Amino acid sequence: MAPTDKRTRMPWEFTLPHAWAGGSEEAAGAGVCDPAMENEAFAGFYERSARPLWAYLARVSADPALADDLMQESYVRYLCAEGSPTLARDGEAAARRYLFRIATNLLRDHWRHPRTASIEEIPEEFFAARGQATQTDAQILLAPALRQMKPRERQMLWLAHAEGYSHREIANVMGLHAASIRLLLFRARRKIAALLRACAADDGRKS
Amino acid sequence: MNLTSCPYEKEVRQLMARGQWPDACPAELRTHVSGCRTCGDLVLVSEAFQHARAESLAVARPVAPAVLLWRAQLRRRNAAMERVSRPLLGAQIFACAVALFAAAGFAGFEARNGVAWFTLSYWHDWFVQLPQAAMAQWDSLSPGALAGPGWTWMVLALAVAMLVLLGGAAVYFATDKP
Repeated sequence: MAPTDKRTRMPWEFTLPHAWAGGSEEAAGAGVCDPAMENEAFAGFYERSARPLWAYLARVSADPALADDLMQESYVRYLCAEGSPTLARDGEAAARRYLFRIATNLLRDHWRHPRTASIEEIPEEFFAARGQATQTDAQILLAPALRQMKPRERQMLWLAHAEGYSHREIANVMGLHAASIRLLLFRARRKIAALLRACAADDGRKS
Repeated sequence: MNLTSCPYEKEVRQLMARGQWPDACPAELRTHVSGCRTCGDLVLVSEAFQHARAESLAVARPVAPAVLLWRAQLRRRNAAMERVSRPLLGAQIFACAVALFAAAGFAGFEARNGVAWFTLSYWHDWFVQLPQAAMAQWDSLSPGALAGPGWTWMVLALAVAMLVLLGGAAVYFATDKP
């Protein structure tokens, strides 16, 4: 009978010699390259966090193809980073915040040094094309309103209103002072609310 | 812009987070929200973002986690290789520089003693006299023979070369941090 106990199975990560795998005892002790994390635990964490992370990246960047790339890069950096929060030690919330922080920094780097446009890049209408029947007025108007916001405002608004993060968590993810988040978020919310109302009024006049 | 917070904002936020807005909330609160700009903005923006999030979650197509694990493993391996090869490259450059320095010193020493070894007759004589010369050199390796001024410089040069090589090895081990 084939062994079914998962403790007896050799994970595929261990098929390479340790030195070639680039791991070290210290790194493993610090939670980096933790084999346990890299198997079932990581798969579960990925299953729960990948879609929200992709949604954040896709909506804030308005570029689903870029979101695909940055999401993968975020997870790879998370797995390789020394001292990154682990599920066992810090809990899933901390790991998730750290992941969003990596993604936020990657987005910032992308905006600082934008890459050349790819033919595979899909426009924002990608979202409208799928499930248009169930869209509300606010959804149809959100994309153009978001485009008129600054990148940092988009990130902040998404983290606050889509992910439900507190001011302190947003500050942690974005690398800002918690005290300044309240005012910045208030301004951003007022701005996008005005844009949503203006877009809704325009839409109403057209129809 | 004045930051005017509403006392009901927290309550509205909590209701929205629990999914109780607007059906499971008091009628007074709904009336308040319709007249309060802060709460109205909060509801409008939160609803828009929540719906956008739900829609994006549905269209997301994440790759298999094994792909990411493999990529992370590959990156760690490359980083480890780079960490190992960096001091090796430094040691190689250092050794090359030492060898060039020694070659230049040898060439300079030979140039001072003339350029006879460039001629064919010099090498012919050298080969003919090689057995005798080897015996003579063997005899000169006795402790008493090493006291001459030429050997002093040779020993000094060897000691310096050894120190330089050991220094290179020390630099290599010092920079080879995991």
